[in-house]
Amino acid sequence: MTDTPDYKAESPAREAWRMFRRNVPALVGMVILAFIVLATLYGTFFYSGDPYDVVWAPHEAPGVTPEYPLGTDYLGRDIMAGMLTGGGPTLAVGAAAAAITMVIGIALGSLAGFYGGWIDNLLMRITEFFQVLPALLFAMVLVTLFEPSLWTIAIAIGVVSWPQTARLTRAEFLRIKELEYVTAARAIGARNMRIMWKVILPNAMPPLIVSATLTIGIAILFEAGLSFLGLGDPNVMSWGLMIGANRDYILDAWWPVTFPGLAIFFTVFAVSLIGDGLNDAFNPKLRER
Amino acid sequence: MTALLDINDLRVTFNTRYGQVTALDGVSLHVNAGETLGVVGESGCGKSITALATMGLIPSPPGRIAGGSIRLDGEELVGARPSRLRAMRGADIAMIFQEPMTSLNPVFTVGDQIAEAIMLHQKVSHDQALKDAVALLDRVGIPSPKARVHDYPHQLSGGMRQRVMIAMAVSCRPKVLIADEPTTALDVTVQAQIFDLLNEIQRDFGAAIVLITHDMGAISEMADRVAVMYAGRIIEEARADDVLDFPQHPYARGLIDCIPALGREDHALKEIPGVVPPLHLLGAGCAFAERCEHANERCRREKPLLVNHDHHPAACHAVEEGRI
Repeated sequence: MTDTPDYKAESPAREAWRMFRRNVPALVGMVILAFIVLATLYGTFFYSGDPYDVVWAPHEAPGVTPEYPLGTDYLGRDIMAGMLTGGGPTLAVGAAAAAITMVIGIALGSLAGFYGGWIDNLLMRITEFFQVLPALLFAMVLVTLFEPSLWTIAIAIGVVSWPQTARLTRAEFLRIKELEYVTAARAIGARNMRIMWKVILPNAMPPLIVSATLTIGIAILFEAGLSFLGLGDPNVMSWGLMIGANRDYILDAWWPVTFPGLAIFFTVFAVSLIGDGLNDAFNPKLRER
Repeated sequence: MTALLDINDLRVTFNTRYGQVTALDGVSLHVNAGETLGVVGESGCGKSITALATMGLIPSPPGRIAGGSIRLDGEELVGARPSRLRAMRGADIAMIFQEPMTSLNPVFTVGDQIAEAIMLHQKVSHDQALKDAVALLDRVGIPSPKARVHDYPHQLSGGMRQRVMIAMAVSCRPKVLIADEPTTALDVTVQAQIFDLLNEIQRDFGAAIVLITHDMGAISEMADRVAVMYAGRIIEEARADDVLDFPQHPYARGLIDCIPALGREDHALKEIPGVVPPLHLLGAGCAFAERCEHANERCRREKPLLVNHDHHPAACHAVEEGRI
């Protein structure tokens, strides 16, 4: 630290980013995820094709026909086109489900942790009720009750995943609300809402951001699982749907399930690496390693 | 004339696993504008609880103000509406905390935090509040305040952080400033600077200061009057010089004997034997009796009251009976 007047302070967020950049696995995760996101967003500009069109003979192996580099599935549909168009819905559902999880979890967890007493009791019993439900089964019930669409899937995943975030938020609020700067904020006349959102929540964010990242990975697996079971939206091509549709022919042709499977694997892998990297970057005790 | 801050017979109780304990048992204090009242006592004697009660910040539950009154400029604070208390906190009555390391929010710049305190009570733009924050940082003696205003708390030293806390506390020119052991966490040279600063601030703003401390040196430097607390009661109260030169209560005598004097021959540090008794074990008698060499049957049986003696008020049977 210098004392020159033009010295620019480094915010905690910038400091975390600096730590994150030094973390090689996390950077690898970023690169993989960036590649996947770019491919699903812009891939169709370079490789157009309707993933539902029957374009060639069924079960053409990858690398045999140059027009269809990843081969065709059991109906003769282009797998490469499916890969590029199926990534978008998968990632969108993952992100939306994580967002829903965070909103519900942070709202209920912060109220419970901040106010305590009967509010805490009530909210935590509700949380436990959702926590003991078998997540995949409950999501299946929700999706079958309502019209399967990307939104209902995202909401179903969000509804079964928020309890963990709520408990984490509550734990952080319980810890932070005892700290002196919260009393100091009261002493300058801040009201409860301001203390919750502007004093405690920013300090509780690091573990929540890590948890959100990991939730994206879990949500993507969930979406794939539901689609695999045939509970996804049949009108939207997704990686999970491709695996589900081709699973009966896995002994005849390995490629229609393997490529989307690898895509899901790498996406979740990349997201997990980023989550771990964020965890290290935010956790000062690990910074010394 | 009534005092600016007038605390009368304040009682604070806490529900603990030992049952209800009385943390403050009839505390009466007053402080006038421009005056500094020192509140001294060991850890756990109720100094900080007095401060928090005055701010309306007793954690409830488990704590509660069970009786008494706190008047600020004639306005009763005990039982006032929470919104009224909130409006007064920071604006009319402000507090400086013990630990400058932990009493600033680590994720915002010090400028933002001071600006926040200003904007909570005054209708000014964020830009204006930030300009005011720079002026305040300058006022509390922080070098190159225009750059420091963008610093995060962890980038400042303990002394600088305490200056920031003082800037935040005086941002709305409060009538009463409560300083809860403001220098305990700082080293000695910085302590002296902070006391000088508080004195200057008091001269500029005419605020009343309640200085809570266990450091008799701080009292001699800062305080006009002193209240000595023990186990939730005030046991002696007088002008600072009187307490320092002619302490009456055996506990006050002990506190002053504990100050090591430079150049004195006896090397062993004096101490008062024992500790403040746990509040749930307080009996009917004087809370200090167990540690007091002058204690007799009456001391163990009957609580002494704060009454005037030869010099000034003290709550002690032995003083009252002329035994010491």
